[in-house]
Amino acid sequence: MKCVESCIYGAMSKKVITREEWERKLNDVRIRKEDMNKLVMNFLVTEGYVDAAEKFQMESGAEHIDLATVTDRMAVKKAVQCGNVEDAIEKVNDLNPEILDTNPQLFFHLQQQRLIELIRNGKVNEALQFAQEELAPRGEEDHSFLEELERTVALLAFEDVSNCPVGDLLDISQRLKTASEVNAAILTSQSLEKDPKLPSLLKMLLWAQNHLDEKAVYPRMNNLSTAMLEDPSV
Amino acid sequence: MPTANTIFPIHGPVDLLTRLDSPDPETKLKALREIKNQIIGNRTKKLSFLKLGAVPAVASILSSYATQSDSQLVDADVSTSSIIVQSAAVLGSFACGFDAGVRAVLDAGAFPHLIRLLSNLDEKVVDASARSLRMIYQSRLAPKYEFVQEKNMEFLISLINSECENVTGLGASIITHSCQTSTEQRALCDAGILKKLISLLEGSLSQKNATLESLAAVFKKNPEVISKFVGLENERAVESSLSQRDSSLESPGTVIKNNTESVFKFVGPESGSALSSIIELTKDRYARTRLLACMCLVVIRNASPNYLQDMGIKAKLVYLLLELLDDPGQVGDEASFVFSSLVAGKKDLQQLAFENNAINKFCNQLQKSQLHPKRLQGVLLALADLCSKLESCRLTFLSLKVLNQVIDALTHDCADVRTSACICLRSITRSIKNLCAGYFMNEMLVIPLIRLLDDPSVSVQVAALGVISNIVVDFTTRKSTFIQCGGVKQLVQLTKSMHSTVRFNALWALKNMMFLADDRCKEGIFLELTGSLLASLISDPEPCVQEQALALVRNLVDGCIKSIEYVFAEDGTLLDAVGRQLHNVSDEVGIQGMYLLGNVASGNELHKEAVLQQLLSQADNGAQSFVIKLLQSSDSRLRTAAVWVIVNLTFPSCPGAFGRLVQLKNAGIISQIRNMVNDSCLDVKLRVRTVITQSMTFGDGLT
Repeated sequence: MKCVESCIYGAMSKKVITREEWERKLNDVRIRKEDMNKLVMNFLVTEGYVDAAEKFQMESGAEHIDLATVTDRMAVKKAVQCGNVEDAIEKVNDLNPEILDTNPQLFFHLQQQRLIELIRNGKVNEALQFAQEELAPRGEEDHSFLEELERTVALLAFEDVSNCPVGDLLDISQRLKTASEVNAAILTSQSLEKDPKLPSLLKMLLWAQNHLDEKAVYPRMNNLSTAMLEDPSV
Repeated sequence: MPTANTIFPIHGPVDLLTRLDSPDPETKLKALREIKNQIIGNRTKKLSFLKLGAVPAVASILSSYATQSDSQLVDADVSTSSIIVQSAAVLGSFACGFDAGVRAVLDAGAFPHLIRLLSNLDEKVVDASARSLRMIYQSRLAPKYEFVQEKNMEFLISLINSECENVTGLGASIITHSCQTSTEQRALCDAGILKKLISLLEGSLSQKNATLESLAAVFKKNPEVISKFVGLENERAVESSLSQRDSSLESPGTVIKNNTESVFKFVGPESGSALSSIIELTKDRYARTRLLACMCLVVIRNASPNYLQDMGIKAKLVYLLLELLDDPGQVGDEASFVFSSLVAGKKDLQQLAFENNAINKFCNQLQKSQLHPKRLQGVLLALADLCSKLESCRLTFLSLKVLNQVIDALTHDCADVRTSACICLRSITRSIKNLCAGYFMNEMLVIPLIRLLDDPSVSVQVAALGVISNIVVDFTTRKSTFIQCGGVKQLVQLTKSMHSTVRFNALWALKNMMFLADDRCKEGIFLELTGSLLASLISDPEPCVQEQALALVRNLVDGCIKSIEYVFAEDGTLLDAVGRQLHNVSDEVGIQGMYLLGNVASGNELHKEAVLQQLLSQADNGAQSFVIKLLQSSDSRLRTAAVWVIVNLTFPSCPGAFGRLVQLKNAGIISQIRNMVNDSCLDVKLRVRTVITQSMTFGDGLT
């Protein structure tokens, strides 16, 4: 009823919700503990915090998740991040041989990363041979790879690669990009989302608050890390 | 052995194959792993290993270790199972998206061993074998699975009931691959497979996708199975919707979208049915799952007019598929094909798609350079279906200036693309407005089309003939462009093709060329065709070819008296062939034949007498004239055509009319016509009355 009144008598005036009222309403919302635990586990597993996940699983008694695959996935990610691409490819194939067989783009990017690493290490002959034998056929199969291949091979043409137009390929960010692409593909093959759910819940919270701001004054949560409710300023 | 300079590959293929033969299991295992890592994702490597005979070598390792593992019953040696897992993975990779590999794996006899390994005690062995079999079943080369045998059905059910994801996926792939007839669909349905498949729709990503594909195979053109499926209560969906409703009562302020709720609103009366679980998957976060869910719904819609007919879901499917088209990968490539099957032959959906800017979206795709052949093919087919009925679609297409891209596709390397470019052009050239304006009769289009008549692929030839058939129906005098480009010669060549569809389509094109053509054009075509070739085509073993040949001659003799003379060329062999053919024909062939005779009978006395002789040729021997049978046909179009011949033969102002009337009466034809005064078809009735009036002018002596 209150809401209707405020609409009729003053479209401009916002409804005021006191801290007591707000907390009472919050207390009425029941969230199952299991769901909370699942959310935390989802975060730890997706982000690859194996040790923490193991402890949390034990202490909370959350639904059992096979953490071995998480360890394997993190090992693959780490291998790419360190430039051991061949090692990463072998690990992915052990994990699930289907991933690279059915994902030509990812396979190309890993091979491209391998080429980048060879160039980084100054192994020019090997790099050329590798580009010719391994990457050129991929470019023939799919023309969209050709451009990227050309860009990568162009690295060989410059004396000072740090100052060349394609120098970004040697950047650590290129490794991270490739690593996260492999990580996402492995997660997808395990029917998991590539992003944890927790951050999207926080986004949803902020979105909801922004909408509510137009209609009401209430104890707002401004600092997400402390989750403190701040008193409405009326 | 690697030299200092070459480290790629670490071990060459030949070296690796030697290592496979090693008696040391450790060396064997390493070699297998290395082969696996070299071939995964790498088509060229697969091919080179294949040529060296790697597949039979790996298959024999698999079979010997599989036998070992069987005898060890419990606790198989770790290295034994590792070797089995690795060799299964190698074989699976050879079979993955690579038909030559699938054939090699099957030829090497690995298939039964992989099947046997599904009952191995080691989970990893089962998983690897199932995965490899799944790869094999994704190829059309995989052996057909006979569901109707009881043992096989039991085995399939055991696969689908498995705890292992790859094994259930294998079960679904087997269904997708092998379920083709309605008997098989019913058998699967009766075995209770549907219920199990519904529950798999809530499984992992790969299970969902495999299940959606298998459901589409079980549903295809089978309304009976679909209605059983829809009748199955989806208990889990109902439960989850209730629990969500409860929780939403507790927190009315929730902003989390209640997905199940909206699905229920969306399907309306079908809510709670198994159908809703498929509909829900059209909102899945994975594009492939959304596409497959759409495909399933399109299959259901096309088979059963009872389901998914409301505007909401139609619009939703159109919208979703157009959105999926934007996916840069395989999903986007396949989206056009699903879209085609959604709108093909359905005017309402074509209109709806048109209103949703579908033409623009597909045309935008055409403007991109270097499209994947599969995508290009799909886009062209989708445009073909969109423009097949509605002029508004064709006009929008033409306004977007992509015709040149379609013409370019006529010379594409891939035969499927050439075929679909032709099919697209066939729809576009149905635009009467543009045909009349002679828009399509230009060398840019005609020359590549004529070249396609020589194409090595029959389906390209047939599709090209389809476009030519349209563009030669040119109401202006531009037919000469086509003749100058050598089109007629080519078409006549194709009427001698081994393939009846090619003969049929070539005749169709020539028939359309003949339509309202001027004398010079007719003469040119006839000289090329010759009376004897036409006579043999009229007597072709295929009725559809006979029909087109007769229709062609019908158009040839239509018009001035001079053109009627064509059927009398070469001692009248052509007319004799027509007469002979009409003694025993289907309705469609009969209609064309009778109109042909009707056209000839509209000529001079000689022409009329010749037609009369054809009608009475058998009646002379005391048998009934074939015309009586045609006049008694249940097809009113055939009756109309037959009466027309009699009308033209008895036209009273002609000197021989009375004589012909007497002969027709003696053959019992006139009394048959008298019986038809109250024919149910108005057209027939009117012509019958004309014959009677004409006969009255000669007095009562006839009755």
